[in-house]
Amino acid sequence: MDEQLLQTIVIGLSNGLIYALVALGYTLVYGIIELINFAHGDVFMLGSMLALTLLVYFGVTTGTDPLTAISLIVLVLAITMAVTATLNVSIERVAYRPLRHAPRLAPLISAIGMSFVLQNVGLLWKGPANIGFPDVIPNTNILTTVLGFDTNVAITYKHLFAAVVTIPLLIVLTWFVAKTKQGKAMRATAQDPDTAGLMGIDVNRTIAITFIIAGALAGAAGLVQVLYNNTTVWNLGFRFGLNAFTSAVLGGIGNLQGAVLGGIVLGLINAFSDRYLSTQWTNAIVFGVLIAILVFRPTGLLGQQLADRA
Amino acid sequence: MSAMAGAPLAELRTGQVPDDQLLVRARGVTKRFGGLVAVNSVDFDIPRGAIVSLIGPNGAGKTTFFNMITGYYVPTRGEISFDGHPIVSMKGDKARSKKPHEVTALGIGRTFQNIRLFSTMSALDNVLVGQHVHLRSHWWDAVLRTPLLLAEEERATERAHALLEFLGLEARAHTWARNLPYGDQRRLEIARALATSPKLLLLDEPTAGMNASETREMTDLIRRLRAELGLTVLLIEHDMRVVMGISDRVTVLDYGEVLAEGSPAEVRANPRVIEAYLGRGAAEEG
Amino acid sequence: MSSLIAPVEHGKTGGLPAWLAHLAASAANWPAAYRARVQASPRRTVLMSVLVVLVFAYPLLNRAVLQPFSRNVFPLPAPDDTTVVFMLIFATMAIGLNIVIGFAGLLDLGYVAFYALGAYTAAYLASPHWSGLSILLFSDLPAGFPGIHLPFFIIFWAAALVAAIFGALLGAPTLRLRGDYLAIVTLGFGEIVPVFFKNLVNVHFSFGPIQLVNANLTGGPLGINPIDPPQLFGIEFGVIHGFNAVYLGLAVVIMSIVIARNLERSRMGRAWMAIREDETAAEMMGVNTVRTKLLAFGLGASFAGFAGAMQASYQGATTSDFFMFATSILVVIMIILGGIGNIWGVILGAITVQYVDKTLLSWVGNRLKDTGVAIGSPQLGEINPSQFSFLLLGLALVLMMRFRPEGLLPSRQRAAELHAAPPDQALGSAAVMEIEEEVIEEAEPEDIDVTPEASDAGGGGAPPDPPGRTGGTS
Repeated sequence: MDEQLLQTIVIGLSNGLIYALVALGYTLVYGIIELINFAHGDVFMLGSMLALTLLVYFGVTTGTDPLTAISLIVLVLAITMAVTATLNVSIERVAYRPLRHAPRLAPLISAIGMSFVLQNVGLLWKGPANIGFPDVIPNTNILTTVLGFDTNVAITYKHLFAAVVTIPLLIVLTWFVAKTKQGKAMRATAQDPDTAGLMGIDVNRTIAITFIIAGALAGAAGLVQVLYNNTTVWNLGFRFGLNAFTSAVLGGIGNLQGAVLGGIVLGLINAFSDRYLSTQWTNAIVFGVLIAILVFRPTGLLGQQLADRA
Repeated sequence: MSAMAGAPLAELRTGQVPDDQLLVRARGVTKRFGGLVAVNSVDFDIPRGAIVSLIGPNGAGKTTFFNMITGYYVPTRGEISFDGHPIVSMKGDKARSKKPHEVTALGIGRTFQNIRLFSTMSALDNVLVGQHVHLRSHWWDAVLRTPLLLAEEERATERAHALLEFLGLEARAHTWARNLPYGDQRRLEIARALATSPKLLLLDEPTAGMNASETREMTDLIRRLRAELGLTVLLIEHDMRVVMGISDRVTVLDYGEVLAEGSPAEVRANPRVIEAYLGRGAAEEG
Repeated sequence: MSSLIAPVEHGKTGGLPAWLAHLAASAANWPAAYRARVQASPRRTVLMSVLVVLVFAYPLLNRAVLQPFSRNVFPLPAPDDTTVVFMLIFATMAIGLNIVIGFAGLLDLGYVAFYALGAYTAAYLASPHWSGLSILLFSDLPAGFPGIHLPFFIIFWAAALVAAIFGALLGAPTLRLRGDYLAIVTLGFGEIVPVFFKNLVNVHFSFGPIQLVNANLTGGPLGINPIDPPQLFGIEFGVIHGFNAVYLGLAVVIMSIVIARNLERSRMGRAWMAIREDETAAEMMGVNTVRTKLLAFGLGASFAGFAGAMQASYQGATTSDFFMFATSILVVIMIILGGIGNIWGVILGAITVQYVDKTLLSWVGNRLKDTGVAIGSPQLGEINPSQFSFLLLGLALVLMMRFRPEGLLPSRQRAAELHAAPPDQALGSAAVMEIEEEVIEEAEPEDIDVTPEASDAGGGGAPPDPPGRTGGTS
């Protein structure tokens, strides 16, 4: 196969995994309270800023010895996830829970407002410019240096890193929702919050846990963003968030596996558009895809027919 | 006058009524939801000027049938015509249905099992929305407030008041629908349905949640709808006194199929109906 | 009695002459009607009259008194003419978007696309952009001058028409979607349109007879300029005549108010509200919901077309950077802040937001700087409050949704809906009824809080279905 094509696929896949992490947050929340959580992308953005700040604070930089770097990264990951989880659940408590019985559009508008607030927090915190971060994880091509292939296709440690952080989280999450008691409560609440409440499920708690999980995933994605893409900026959450939301819709919103699949597909679409068309059209293409899916196949690829509760 | 016509027609079964005296003619109507057959190959006639009731246990498919007559559900199979116009027709092996607003324009008005008024619009505006389909003014008439619009609005408002008057709601014309007492809301729904200028009125459990005296009033009102406005009425009702009191003909649905049909007396005596309602044991004992 | 059932008749109405006669008659009758009003509710009418006079006198007042004296004087700074023009441009958009969101209940998050389409239409029709052409109409420019140069009264309507057409094109496939999906699709559209305007700068394209080589379709990131300033009856309304432009903007807003009010009180307005309240019931009562929603979308978009034409012609330049997602949200914020569903409310919202964003915050910044110098801590001046504008607006959205979703100057209906009355309210106590009957006649914003706020307790139990919900199958 064409090496350029293969390389594009590698980039698309690893970008797609990050989208998937954020997309899961959208899909979890939408699945349970039918809210497009506009602020989710911005939680991810703040997560990336926090991760970057912590990494700088701990002195992690290019050339930090691998063992120290790894242990510090794990530490930063844990802190970031905890903070974004707390942030996300606080947002739910303040901005969405009071509107649980208001008309559908009320929490959506509240979420948009929250998104603006968080973006401006990012803006005030780090200023308007892109913030760079040095390469901690080497861009060395594993295929040539470690495995000894003779190829121009690069699968670097960074790509590996994106996969190593993302895939276990995806597996754990799927297991959690499918197998645990709390996961069962989440699915029941998603089906019918009123009945779930009558059956003794603490609906508020279940929704809060959903936001905690979604926030933690966004935090993890934030860290990966910093180490993988080496940059963050205050309005990252809007663009990235819309990509991630598109992934969730693409896979069938409310469907966990769908969000992962959607993220990967969208990562590939992005990579191909960047590569073979032009980066300036990529956003238009992403939105074109989003509109086309919503119009022609609103249930997404893995389609989960969400009953219209109207 | 139509009350007179109702009596002999009630003697005729579905399929026996001459076509020119039919308002609704449904043949082989079937509706599947996934694997569930909600309505199975139902034939059903409504003679002009009759009051016909559709009864049956919960889940028998009554409202589903209603929703197919009004174009809200597209049947899986079958044909329904109304006043000589096809509402549902077969094209190949797929049924095609008119849209609800087109059905309304043909002359079918309806109420809902759970009241669905436009809750923060006034009673008057609710009735005016009912007239929407027969009003001719366009948006540019509205923008320019042309004489056409002004004349039409005046007439429509007059008629809306007359309808409210007919239902005893005139004093409530400017009250929000949702602030009306329950009985008034039921009647406002009927006023709104009448505003669509129907030939056939579908009433979905009009006496649900009413006490005895309210129920009596509603029964009288339904009689008046036929006697004074010449309407044909199709009724879904659980209150057997209402059904037996005013219907010319009763059709019993059970598991989506026609279990029995005939005059109220015939249906009441039908052992299969008793069985469906009370269970097998009751039928054997009786 | 069967006349009750028959639809109302449609007599002959005489077309245009009858309409003109009617207009003349109402104009002649106006003094009498005004007197009758004064007698019916004197305080209100006088108050309204004073308000109208103030509105018309404001630009004069602003220029002659407020701007010279208040620039640095407490209590509040006067906005400059450009800010006032943009207040009016945004008020026009708020009125239009209110038709979509407030009347018909469709959340449109990409309204900026229609603003952009209006602006670029105006730019195309009144600038040297198409330099290969020379089409002049009612223009002072010398014959053969490059570009298309049409008069403002044509491009103004053309911009509205283009916006409305695109509104209908976007709406046709998407209006079947549920509310929040519609929001996302419109958001996407709002993002795509500026991308096209930004990127269609050196287009190579060939399809049959159409051959484009390095064609500059949109001016790219630089946009299009110079655009001819609006000119009517020999008077210029461009940015160098800001004072005139304020009156042009005022005229546009008044026209927008009249159009929106007339639509609201027609069968279309009732159908929109019916759809907002209960779409299924509306459809069952004979409202063609798809067509009616499309109309709301198209007509709503045309107001953004007006606004776009104003922006481009007034400023003499337009670029895709004007048309960001934030602008869509800005208009949504104006509507919500002012009072969704209420034309006067949304105008108030537009004026307030623009004022705070463009005048008040920078004024506060200057005051901080002065104070910093005065008290000897100049770092106080480094705080730039304008940076906080979206933070404030975002906070406002969240807080409004929670504590006053009906806005500053609410529509009665929306207030009731947004406070999500407990469903058993449908049965209505006598007390509530009495109050509502008064409210319905006399619009007093404060009468709203009849309905208690929705309970905060989410998992407490299953709330019964409100009356507007579907019954499903039997």
